[in-house]
Amino acid sequence: MKAKTTSNEGRFAYEGLDRVIHERARLSVLTSLITNPKGLTFGDLKQLCALTDGNLSRHLRVLELDKMVEIVKGHEKNRPLTVCRITPSGRKRYLEYLTTLEQVVRDAAKGAKEEAAQALLGGLSVSRVV
Amino acid sequence: MKHLTNRGEAITLHCKVGGAMYDLNKALGDISSIRRQMAQSTEFRGYGPATLAATGAIAAVAAAAQALWLPDPSRNVPVYLGIWVSTAMLSAALIGAQMHARTRRIHSGMADEMIRMAVEQFLPSVAAGSMITVVLAWLAPQAVWMLPGLWQVIFGLGVFSSCRFLPRPMLAAGAWYLMTGLGCIAVGEGHAFSPWAMGIPYGAGQLLVAAILFFASPEGVDESQDNFE
Repeated sequence: MKAKTTSNEGRFAYEGLDRVIHERARLSVLTSLITNPKGLTFGDLKQLCALTDGNLSRHLRVLELDKMVEIVKGHEKNRPLTVCRITPSGRKRYLEYLTTLEQVVRDAAKGAKEEAAQALLGGLSVSRVV
Repeated sequence: MKHLTNRGEAITLHCKVGGAMYDLNKALGDISSIRRQMAQSTEFRGYGPATLAATGAIAAVAAAAQALWLPDPSRNVPVYLGIWVSTAMLSAALIGAQMHARTRRIHSGMADEMIRMAVEQFLPSVAAGSMITVVLAWLAPQAVWMLPGLWQVIFGLGVFSSCRFLPRPMLAAGAWYLMTGLGCIAVGEGHAFSPWAMGIPYGAGQLLVAAILFFASPEGVDESQDNFE
């Protein structure tokens, strides 16, 4: 029994769930950037993630400080244009996060399947006894 | 009556769990979809330059063996086909085994997706090449001399279709196979079965592919930097 407990230690620790990425708005920003490798303008990103200017700026600053995104400020047709891109390190961390997240969902699905099977079996056995 | 209530509760719980399962499966589908999109914007690094160069050497050895032991291949087409089909199978097995190991090492988080995409891109050419071999060898033996040229043209098309996820200069390798294939057909029946009609195109072609991979995707570059759009 003890051996089983030891082998299961940290089974659901999910160390790969990066705290910086594990926030709805930042997850949404990174997913938008990862699926648009050429980068997205501030306006496009704001629209895709349904965020306000202030909120998006705040989250981009967090990601930029963590070297997960790069923000390039330039001009297009004499108008200021801010383009956001995911960095190689951001891409790598996002991929690790995604792998852990997938494991979380798989574990949850496994639990739900077992629960469904037990519920059905429980219902059938009670009806047989009574 | 109690059993009906218990069964009803079980069914209700089963339905609730079914709903949760649907959501979880949907979440897994969304994760796969993100991973697929990431894979589509990543350069494939599963082909190893050393292995590809080795397949070029294998082609040269096969050509030398044919020159030595099969002086008149046009009179012994099954043996000729045997030499080149087994060379192709050996090369494919080598590339496949190395691709599997290398992709798991380099593209760890999306290895399955990358391998699936690489196979999807090249498989139509392999299937077309195999089917055309069977059809010409069995049903149209008078046209079997065109096989070396057709193999090269089809291989070139396979390289072209893989180019989207490989370094841009790989287009040159596709063009090489296309040109050598057309050249083989152009020189006609007389020289089609010459060992060098296969040995030179595949020997030099695979070396070219290996050189492109070696110089365009150096080993030391991290996988995460492969965003190549």
